[in-house]
Amino acid sequence: MSTVTRPAPGVGAAPAAERAARLRRVARDPIVIAGAVTVALVVVGELVSPGFAGWGQIVNMLRVASFLGVVAAGQTIVILSGGGGIDLSVGKVATFAAIVGSRIMQGDDAGVVAGVVVPLAACALIGLGNGLGVTLLRIPPFVMTLGMTGVVYGLIMVYTNGRADGRAAPALTTLVNGELVLGLPGVLFLWAAIAVLVTWLLRRTTFGWRLFAVGASPEAAELSGVPVRRTVILAYVAGSVFAGLGGLLLVGYTESVMLNLADDYTMPAIAAVIIGGTLAAGGVGGYLGTAVGAVTLTVLTSLLTTLDIGSAWRTVVNGVVLVALLSFYGRQKRLRA
Amino acid sequence: MTDIVPAGRGRAAGQDRLAGLVAAVRQARMSTWMVVALLVVAVAANASVQSNFFTPYAMTSTTATLVPLVLVALAQAVVVIGGGIDLSIGASVTVASVTAVVVMDGREDRLLVGALVAIAVGAACGLVNGLIIALLRLQPIIVTFATSSVFAGAALLVLPTPGGSVPATITRGYRDTLLGVPAGAWLLLATLALWFLLSRTRLVRHVYAVGGDPVASYASLIPVARVQVLSYVLCGALGGVAAVALLANSGSGDPFVGLGMTLDSVAAVVIGGIALSGGRGSGVGAVAGAITLALIENSIFFADVPTNYRPLVSGVVIIAALALSAFTMTDRRRRR
Amino acid sequence: MRGVRKRYGGVRALDGASLAADRGEVHGLLGPNGSGKSTLNKVLTGVVAADDAEITIDGTPVRITGPADAARLGIAAVYQQLTLLPELTVEQNVVLGVEPTTAGLLRGREVRATARACLDRLGDALEGVAPTTRVTDLNPGQQQLVELAKALARRPRVLVLDEATASLHSRQVDEVFRIVRELTADGVLVLFVSHRLDEVYEICDRATIVRSGRTVAEVAIADTPEQRLVELMVGRPAAGEEPATAPSEATGPTDAPDAGAPARPTAAPRPAPAADDAEAPALVTRGLTGPGFTGVDLTVRPGEIVGLGGLQGQGQSDLLLALFGARRVTGGEIELAGRPVRFRTPRQAARAGVALVPGDRGTQGLLSVRPIQENLSVVSLERRATARTVVRPARERAAAERMVDALAIKIGRLADPVSSLSGGNQQKVIVGKWLLAEPRLVLLDDPTKGVDVGAKAEIYDLMRSLAARGVAVIFNSSEDRELVELADRVVVLYEGRVRTEIPRDQLTVDALVASAFQVGVEEGRP
Repeated sequence: MSTVTRPAPGVGAAPAAERAARLRRVARDPIVIAGAVTVALVVVGELVSPGFAGWGQIVNMLRVASFLGVVAAGQTIVILSGGGGIDLSVGKVATFAAIVGSRIMQGDDAGVVAGVVVPLAACALIGLGNGLGVTLLRIPPFVMTLGMTGVVYGLIMVYTNGRADGRAAPALTTLVNGELVLGLPGVLFLWAAIAVLVTWLLRRTTFGWRLFAVGASPEAAELSGVPVRRTVILAYVAGSVFAGLGGLLLVGYTESVMLNLADDYTMPAIAAVIIGGTLAAGGVGGYLGTAVGAVTLTVLTSLLTTLDIGSAWRTVVNGVVLVALLSFYGRQKRLRA
Repeated sequence: MTDIVPAGRGRAAGQDRLAGLVAAVRQARMSTWMVVALLVVAVAANASVQSNFFTPYAMTSTTATLVPLVLVALAQAVVVIGGGIDLSIGASVTVASVTAVVVMDGREDRLLVGALVAIAVGAACGLVNGLIIALLRLQPIIVTFATSSVFAGAALLVLPTPGGSVPATITRGYRDTLLGVPAGAWLLLATLALWFLLSRTRLVRHVYAVGGDPVASYASLIPVARVQVLSYVLCGALGGVAAVALLANSGSGDPFVGLGMTLDSVAAVVIGGIALSGGRGSGVGAVAGAITLALIENSIFFADVPTNYRPLVSGVVIIAALALSAFTMTDRRRRR
Repeated sequence: MRGVRKRYGGVRALDGASLAADRGEVHGLLGPNGSGKSTLNKVLTGVVAADDAEITIDGTPVRITGPADAARLGIAAVYQQLTLLPELTVEQNVVLGVEPTTAGLLRGREVRATARACLDRLGDALEGVAPTTRVTDLNPGQQQLVELAKALARRPRVLVLDEATASLHSRQVDEVFRIVRELTADGVLVLFVSHRLDEVYEICDRATIVRSGRTVAEVAIADTPEQRLVELMVGRPAAGEEPATAPSEATGPTDAPDAGAPARPTAAPRPAPAADDAEAPALVTRGLTGPGFTGVDLTVRPGEIVGLGGLQGQGQSDLLLALFGARRVTGGEIELAGRPVRFRTPRQAARAGVALVPGDRGTQGLLSVRPIQENLSVVSLERRATARTVVRPARERAAAERMVDALAIKIGRLADPVSSLSGGNQQKVIVGKWLLAEPRLVLLDDPTKGVDVGAKAEIYDLMRSLAARGVAVIFNSSEDRELVELADRVVVLYEGRVRTEIPRDQLTVDALVASAFQVGVEEGRP
């Protein structure tokens, strides 16, 4: 990413030039770009299908985006940890949490606490497994989490005997779907709270500062006394826990659960993180961008559904837009000096 | 500069080659032995739980299923050795196969054309990937994820629902035996031969270089971008061949056929001792890895594992295989 | 080459440098660190694109925009940084990029023959190395020779050897020189870039001396005594002149050097530390052995500055890394302030009060993409955090500003990425982050490499003030003058072992050079 070397204080640069440079920087900020694209998509949607940008529709899109957003929170942390960090198991883990949680809850409020704590604890263990594989066994994250996806799938099959039953507790459903303020469903507030939590984690804790350090340069971090291994393991634990949280929120929304409930969330989660400006190599980024990215992707999907172009064209356009979006930034270095 | 050694050194050259072979065996690293070991274990496990494993019928059926997987793994290997990855390979196989089915339309005389179309479509998909990755310099993992959407959608456009038919010649021939050996086995050998040929091309040599160290390659005057693009094209083309094999196996078109193949191909590549970082490994490893993977699944199926436990056992075994392979890969960036 | 100019950011690496050499000549390219000699030859080989340059070969003007152009003109180079692929075999590497093919298929026999021929040329130097060996299995010296074979495979008209002999031992160097003489007999021009003067005298016919981006002289080696050569490189009659430093390719932009204004980056020599036997020595090692060093006995008292001398790469960096817990120690003991310690990780060492300013600033010392603030905070973050977990931005900012003031680091804002700073300021940031951790023992690996004059002086002062505060300092340097300037004692290493220790009163550049070269004499070299 290009940076501008600021002059030392006291050395005056022409204020107009300075402002222009700052504007240029802002315009290239991935979050701004993603936001602008989102707005553009909403506008297009409204033009093509009036009512698209109606309050109810927007709220609904945000609600759908929230599940992706929460799952992608974990993915953000993992990708930030660098070293090829990625978690391909988040979708499966989210499904897993939803299935376990809903079965414990059995549609009864009495089980709501256990139905949240137990799955999240299990997710933490899964994340621990990922983290240990990546740090101790030096297994590339792509491979480790890919394999873990299979293992989690196996766990799901054993746990459910192939039949997904279980219902979310009414308390959870109310929390997610119930309209709290301004007709906004609770999950949006939950998402906001999670966004605040994750941002706090990243910017205001030693874990967060170290995470960025490790992502920027594991070697320099190690040589600066940062506990690299521990930080990376915690990152993967966080990845799986937030995935599980996303799955629980999702089942609160859908009330009943399917065997592949959140499986399709993995790749969009990764896309949301990258669109949001977090570098695939780690070390730079944050959650705000991911959240915006999640909204962008959701709006895009909604728009394509509205356009009534058939599921085939939908997938095609989805892919093309993604590539176009990515080519605005995220380009790698040239080889020549 | 002294002249090129005159041709009269034939015998010395032969000795050189033998010495080279011996050196290769001696130099074979841990990761190669691991690949061999995993393959042997997989075959042994399969043979022990499937009583009819070595019968002609079972062998025909096993090898017939193996061929597409092996080809896709080889395709992925080419790209991974070059330092990239192709998450769209499953989708390109799909679109290649449905396009071929539509072109063939069940007609015998269109068989060859259909096959060529499959390869061409696959290569075109690869070209798209390669151009975006090399020219726009975007991350392969995200790009190919995006293009997989595009290709999968295209497949649905070509053939919205499963259907179409494949000329009987190829489906029959695919399950036939020649000299007592199933066609599938011959095709596996042909795949190995294909790799042998490919590995002696300058392109593949350069793919190894670019995957190993793009900067050093550039300094050595290797056209890095061109090599990258061509590696994806080759990958796509091999995917096209896999598409033909799939059609021969199934007999009809299916726009959802390739979806699971992508991640399987990556697993096969890793089990086969190819580093995801690029520059190392061999197509033979990918073939071995694909066979290992498939036989593991097969073994679990035949091993009387309760249905519900099968995915778990499979998942654990595969992750163990992945871990062993990745672990024996000597890390170039070893700290101590 | 005439009028060659190149800027990196705010610094002029080359400012109208020139070079003229004939066929069949061995032409040296000499100059101090950062003089631009590397940049000049990289312009010729196409690795660097000059802003301005007139280059003629055999009287014909040419344009070199990249390595491909250079290769086409018959220019090949061997750098210290190798362009070999570790996973490929020797013969595959030798023909890399110029493989003979038929319709895309490699002609195996021809590949083998070409490689064999090039390797044969290297004679005994690569004895026992089969062409089918993977490059990664060779030692650095052998790899360097394979790189040379690779250059020879392109049949160059001009061969540039840029510090190519650095990792070779004397017998291998002799072989290389033999090849050089063969090449020049064939009319090839060999450009020999080196700071090993004995080698220059052995092989070069003439030499061009570059300083501060300009060519200052062109001499015939046979007619130029070493004293004069050094004078020309350094800019003035001997005795401690500090030349202006331009950036090497590894570092970022530097502040503009004071070209032509020789500055002494030193103040008055510092008083020897009071020998306080009552206090435990800050560091004691006995028989310390590890990767790169053997049986090192070392004692450093608080307030002492100990230098590690000897030719580069003789175990100095490895020793420092091991003391810091970044390399595994396989034998011997370490005592820190009287207590035996065993560091398995740098984190443990840091906790015990040891600090390391590493040799490779970019990859080891800095979190390049992160802001200056975070780079300063990283080591001591826990101390200032509430419950060791919650970071207080105000506290971090205050601590960072304290360091920026104390070390006079020239920055824009704390939030700027640290990669935007000059080499000298980056180095200060690295020192600053450690100062915030209040270390007892500070290890520095070549702290002023690629740092401009002004910052060098400040870093020297910093090291002295650390010692004055009772911190023990051990540092390694690629400049003998620096060792003389700063050290109370210099421990000279050769092949990982301590050869001699030179106390302050006997510490001169000549003594250091002599002790390093004495080793050469033992080896049988002139």
